[in-house]
Amino acid sequence: MLEIRWHSRAGQGAVTGAKGLADVVSTTGKHVQAFAFYGSAKRGAAMTAYNRVDDHEILNHEKYMNPDFVFVIDPALVYTTDVTINDKPETVYIITTHMSTDELVASQPKLNGKKVYTVDCIKIAQETIGRAIPNTPMLGAFMKISGMYDIEFFKESMKRILAKLPPKIVDANMDAIQRAYDEVK
Amino acid sequence: MNNGWNDFEIGAMLRSFDGAVNGIATTLQEDRPYSKSNSFTASVADWRIEKPIFNKDYCIDCQFCWIYCPDISIISRDKKMVGVDYDHCKGCGICAEVCPTNPKSLLMFAEQEDEDKALAGWPEKEKKEN
Amino acid sequence: MADKMELRDVEVWDGNMAASQAMRQVQIDVVAAYPITPSTPIVENYGNYLANGYVDGEFVMVESEHAAMSGCIGASAAGGRVATATSSQGFALMVETLYQASGMRLPIVLNVVNRALAAPLNVNGDHSDMYLGRDSGWIQLDAYNPQQAYDLNFIAFRVAEDHEVRLPCMVHQDGFLTSHTAQGVKTLDDDTAYNFVGEFKPMNDMLDLDHPVTHGVQTEEDWHFEHKARQHNDLMTKVFPKIEAAFDAFEKLTGRRYNIVETYNTEGADAVVVCMGTSVETAIEVAKELRADGKKVGVIGIRVIRPWPHAQIAEALKGIKAIGALDRSSPNGTFGMLYNELAGTVVNSGESKVLTNYVYGLGGRDLTKVHLREIYAELLANAEAGKPTTPLQQLIGVRGPKISFH
Repeated sequence: MLEIRWHSRAGQGAVTGAKGLADVVSTTGKHVQAFAFYGSAKRGAAMTAYNRVDDHEILNHEKYMNPDFVFVIDPALVYTTDVTINDKPETVYIITTHMSTDELVASQPKLNGKKVYTVDCIKIAQETIGRAIPNTPMLGAFMKISGMYDIEFFKESMKRILAKLPPKIVDANMDAIQRAYDEVK
Repeated sequence: MNNGWNDFEIGAMLRSFDGAVNGIATTLQEDRPYSKSNSFTASVADWRIEKPIFNKDYCIDCQFCWIYCPDISIISRDKKMVGVDYDHCKGCGICAEVCPTNPKSLLMFAEQEDEDKALAGWPEKEKKEN
Repeated sequence: MADKMELRDVEVWDGNMAASQAMRQVQIDVVAAYPITPSTPIVENYGNYLANGYVDGEFVMVESEHAAMSGCIGASAAGGRVATATSSQGFALMVETLYQASGMRLPIVLNVVNRALAAPLNVNGDHSDMYLGRDSGWIQLDAYNPQQAYDLNFIAFRVAEDHEVRLPCMVHQDGFLTSHTAQGVKTLDDDTAYNFVGEFKPMNDMLDLDHPVTHGVQTEEDWHFEHKARQHNDLMTKVFPKIEAAFDAFEKLTGRRYNIVETYNTEGADAVVVCMGTSVETAIEVAKELRADGKKVGVIGIRVIRPWPHAQIAEALKGIKAIGALDRSSPNGTFGMLYNELAGTVVNSGESKVLTNYVYGLGGRDLTKVHLREIYAELLANAEAGKPTTPLQQLIGVRGPKISFH
């Protein structure tokens, strides 16, 4: 069982990202689950989304999770929420920030000694898609860190999932995914 | 008739007619195949304390009584007033109230009143007061 | 003619999407709806399919849930295939009309995305609304995941519309835990799905102008009891055979097996939990882990809540020594519904069983695997002792001092 927790703000696309990832993974024959806590359900409010991936049917519906990966797609949430809650020694963090990994860990001591990777999904999204929607770049970074799928296969799969969007936006998302894949450290 | 819970058709539903009908809108009530559960087959004559009696001598076939009757108990054919359906009239008196003729063509009498006697004693035309 | 939609063999859908796709595939004539979280996407998606030509039908926006069900009742009496969706307060506002729908024997399908009832206000899931509907004369089916929310809609239409049944049917799913959780859903193609339910066959419809009928008549004391007796009789005797037949046919078509009472590892078990919704699956996972440790525990999931499957549950509980009834609704002054119903079912079984009640998960509070392990440990102790070793009713997962009764 692979478990992922997303930290996001309502409106940043964490649910869409989690569902998109689940969709891609499902096409490879694995079982998936994608869900979210909406909290106060207001745009901008802190929220969490979740993925479970397994070779067997997923029966567990508890919201409690010891995540293998933690995605933080809004830079401020590292300070205003506890992104390390219920983690385990091997939990891997991919965090959106303009800082380097060392600077980030220095600014948030809770991340000390943890496996932390950083990438500026906000900036990438702004420069490619034109809006601060950091969900798809986070998935590009995840492909790099996890080695889950070949990046070309992943982009092709995401193209199908995003097919309802205008072609320009789809292309911009592909650029964002590729850039985050290349830039995550 | 239904005898118990397992006898009737399901649903809080009643059929108006036995079997299929067509052209029902142009079929006179007395010719319609009303089912036993239709209220047309039930009489409410014994509800009355007073009854309307119709005097055709003064009627102008204005149809006011036919329009106002809440129980569809004014019998009218080809826009000519024919009489009162005493099976369904409850004796409310609205027909007599709305009748515009002078004297009225419909008046309320005690239920036991004899029709011929009532017609024989019908009131005279009222003179307008100056 | 509605356009067909191409679906992949497995779509990643949440429970709302699954339910709305099933509603599209059975080609509903009328949806009258007043959307409410978390069921909103069901009717929203349906409106989308309609607007894009994937359904031949009518979507009626109304001014309340009371009006939504009233619109459904009118459309169903007129002779259409009718469905809608609601949750929580919306369901509560519908309650009066639910009794009209069942009393008039109208085969409406209502997707209920279970959500807590205020106050305090809360959009998250528990079973309060589902419990509120249990005396309303509807058939109630419960889905534990998005796949089942999809599949059980087909079962619902097929059973409800059967002329020997003609009773409305609710399909329940857990708010957010199912409705907003995306999982793989094995789909049916449009033709196969439609043919499983078949063309709608009207009965006593108002649009049959050759056979005029009055729907919703007044009977007073004279015939009211007989009508209710007939409805109760049909729920008690006619529904289960039809559900069983529909489950058999569905298994033949899809390979997916449903049962009126779902059992996991009850054979030879000492202790079981009885629950509904997503909790059934989480409990199965925990029971599996405990079985691996040699603990004789199992799970009973209620698939059909109404009519209450007395005989099937009595059979499933044979030989089981300790039962935990898990209720996800505040009983507000008594035992939970499952506890009381199960007590009624086992009291004449001739076997001695220890029955205890756990109230959990109100307002979306998480039911964790740790909770379930603790419950199983208590139930196994009850089985061993042959009597309750805990209070009969306990609230679990609630902050503050331990709260229990009797």
